[in-house]
Amino acid sequence: MKFLLVGNGAREHAIAQNAAQYYDVYAAMSYQNPGIARLADFTITDILNPQKVADYCDKINPDIVFIGSEEALFHGVSDEIMSRGHLCIGAQKKAAEIERSKAFMRRLLEENHIHGSLRFKTFTEIETALKYIEEYAGSIAIKPARQAGGKGVKVIADLQAYLKEEKKDAKKIHAAQIVKEHLSQDLEDQILIEERVEGVEYSLQCFTDGKTIVPLPLVQDHPHAFEEDIGPETGGMGSISGKGQLPFIEEGEYTKSLQIMEQSVKAIKAETGVEYVGVITGQFMLTDKWGPTIIEYYARLGDPEAVNVMSILENFDEICEGYVNGNLGKISARVRDVATVVKCISPKGYPNQRSLGKDKELYIDTRRLKELGAHLYFGSVYENGGLYTGGSRAVEIYAEADTILEAGKIAEQATGCVTSDWKLFHRHDIGSPELLHKRMRTAQLVRDVYQYRAAHNLIGKTIDWIPGIGKIET
Amino acid sequence: MAGVLGIYAFEEIWNVSRFLFYGLVAIQNRGEEFSTVSVGKDTLTVSGTPDNLDVTPLKGHAGIAGVFTKEEGFYSQDGVSIFYDGTLDVAQLAHKIAQGEPVEDVLSTVEGAYSLLVLKDNVLYATRDRHGIKPLCIGGIGFDMAVVSSESSALDVIGAEYSRDIKPGEVVVIDQHYIESIENGANQTAHCAFEYVYFSRPDSQVFGTSVHSVRKLIGEHLEGQEADVVIGVPETAIPFAMAYATKYDIPVDLGFVRTGRPTRTAIKPTQLERMIGVQLKLNPVRTAVAGKRVVLIDDSVVRGTTMRNTVSLLRRRGAKEVHVRIASPKLVAPCPYGVEVPTRDELIAVDNSEEEIARIIGADSFSYLKVDTLKGLIGLPVCTGCMTGTYPTEVSL
Repeated sequence: MKFLLVGNGAREHAIAQNAAQYYDVYAAMSYQNPGIARLADFTITDILNPQKVADYCDKINPDIVFIGSEEALFHGVSDEIMSRGHLCIGAQKKAAEIERSKAFMRRLLEENHIHGSLRFKTFTEIETALKYIEEYAGSIAIKPARQAGGKGVKVIADLQAYLKEEKKDAKKIHAAQIVKEHLSQDLEDQILIEERVEGVEYSLQCFTDGKTIVPLPLVQDHPHAFEEDIGPETGGMGSISGKGQLPFIEEGEYTKSLQIMEQSVKAIKAETGVEYVGVITGQFMLTDKWGPTIIEYYARLGDPEAVNVMSILENFDEICEGYVNGNLGKISARVRDVATVVKCISPKGYPNQRSLGKDKELYIDTRRLKELGAHLYFGSVYENGGLYTGGSRAVEIYAEADTILEAGKIAEQATGCVTSDWKLFHRHDIGSPELLHKRMRTAQLVRDVYQYRAAHNLIGKTIDWIPGIGKIET
Repeated sequence: MAGVLGIYAFEEIWNVSRFLFYGLVAIQNRGEEFSTVSVGKDTLTVSGTPDNLDVTPLKGHAGIAGVFTKEEGFYSQDGVSIFYDGTLDVAQLAHKIAQGEPVEDVLSTVEGAYSLLVLKDNVLYATRDRHGIKPLCIGGIGFDMAVVSSESSALDVIGAEYSRDIKPGEVVVIDQHYIESIENGANQTAHCAFEYVYFSRPDSQVFGTSVHSVRKLIGEHLEGQEADVVIGVPETAIPFAMAYATKYDIPVDLGFVRTGRPTRTAIKPTQLERMIGVQLKLNPVRTAVAGKRVVLIDDSVVRGTTMRNTVSLLRRRGAKEVHVRIASPKLVAPCPYGVEVPTRDELIAVDNSEEEIARIIGADSFSYLKVDTLKGLIGLPVCTGCMTGTYPTEVSL
């Protein structure tokens, strides 16, 4: 059978690797990912252009099309492929709205009374956003209303009255930057401001045909650029998954998360009229306000989280064929019972000034990688005689073992196999006992609060008292 | 003595000067003679506590700040600022940096006992000496800032989360694109034991251990005494008194109310200021002590002056007996690492037994915490040089 993959990152490399066990893999990429190029017949094309991708699809005539990249979904690549009569695992444009428009996502949760609503406000113009920031100084997240590859999100805790003015200034400058750098051409909303929550994050990645969802094991990403959760937000510097589930998320919390996702998928159908056929990922946070809380939805697998799950998924073929045969509901994901760790290696300059770390040659000791039992997935890397960086996360190192800590050790050793004359960095602490203990502690602190709130009928509620107005419950 | 603080915001949308100011207030316990803040290439210095600083003119996304007991603790010239707690040759260090040697290389070879911050060209460098004598920790604020501080209290006050201690001998370089850690190898660690007894705030974590938890243990291990009330000398000795009271089942009471702002008497420069300092500061509460046998707990005795005044005040307020317990071991030797312990002939403990000290200060009994007890309670390799005269490094005194 033929399997056509659309996308070119480390995520797609991991998907291609798994698919290649069962299928003849083809790929449509916007640049040549060296890893995928070795596994697939491919074409280099504008993967955001539905006609071009669909033309290639017609030429190959694959049994299964799998779209890895969210931007391809936003541009209607899936719609075009389906209209030409191919089976496509990848949300249609309308359904992918759940990721593209953060305002759509928040409204959907709110209107359908889905557990985990956060207070939010959208703005079409910078002036009104600035006015709102001026008047409502609080702990908020300011985001581009349209998904911009995870960029442009700023979360500001505003808890010290004496630092309020500094924070207000930073919020305003950031909001103005969003409009400047992430101006959305295809959405009316420009800026989304939502209440800030804190806690422990985790991703739940699922296959869905719109009727049932097939969950993969929980994975945790590490968004801070540097060690010990310090530094700017990145697309993710690495990720972990445990044997069974993540050690700091309880069974009930997992079940609740899954339920939130099931309800969301149904609500998307009701709202858009489109059946959600593809992958949906819940970026959750365990918060003191709600317990499991959706921070964002992805209409595709996460990156690097895809590497954790695609490396252990044993029946990807059954799942793909479940879509083909219309019996996905009867299939559940079978995964190898191991813990996994992924570490991303980035050139210095990432994430705030990617041009700095671009076009740097990379050297990879493949033999040593193999000896260590680790695997390497190519991200932002191109081949031109040698291997060169594209400026973003260059490669992702995957390791597995009985425990997260053991897998972390292997992955850490394996990062030494990737070198450059330019400064490369990764996070040593991912998969370390210190960080894992910290997650357990934080999760427990949050859990104690949300369980207290649940017991007192306060879950999800905000009660304010405003002088001259009185008590306001929302 | 000094407290140092550095803040680095990864994006230029932030102005860190007020973060530095409030963080500095949170470590002002570490030095009250000078306060200084550098942001970008600008530096402001004032005499006294940070309250006297107006940081409004300072603007930038990276900066360092410090409170100091001596002017030697800070250097700021030609766009290079060097702030440190401890002892080192700052002139030599500044010279090497001015010569254009890479700062991280220079910092990897500095001799002395120090926690040290350097700000140059909007790059922040932080390092500790190889014995880890002085404390220094690192944390972050969200996705926005990295913060280094002598004590974790500064992190809490500005909303940063503590990550870890900077390791002895480690140089941390923070710029917009990376936090580099260069480990130069540590020697046998010897953390300053006096941090736990006196210098640090109880809500801080220094050398990876909670100060308050050590102080409670110390309070429980002071010599027992039959009495009617336990009182602690504010502020440092209050937790000792609370723990002592619980351990020996004696009521603890509010013994003193302070007048004016807190100043730390042991590190005030002149004898006269010390006398005025203590009389203004501590007014005993009559009903707490009148007609009672009192256990009075303080954190240290250097020259005995402060304690003699305090005991005499208590007696005048009607205390029947005054038993003094000191929550630190005898100070018998100077500190070569920048703590202003007076010279040997100024130290009451050098020539006098506990009984004699009791007579000098007019107390019914007097006892110190034993050095070995303190070491055991801290549970980390510590420097007890001022208590024993034995130092972790070669020193010329």
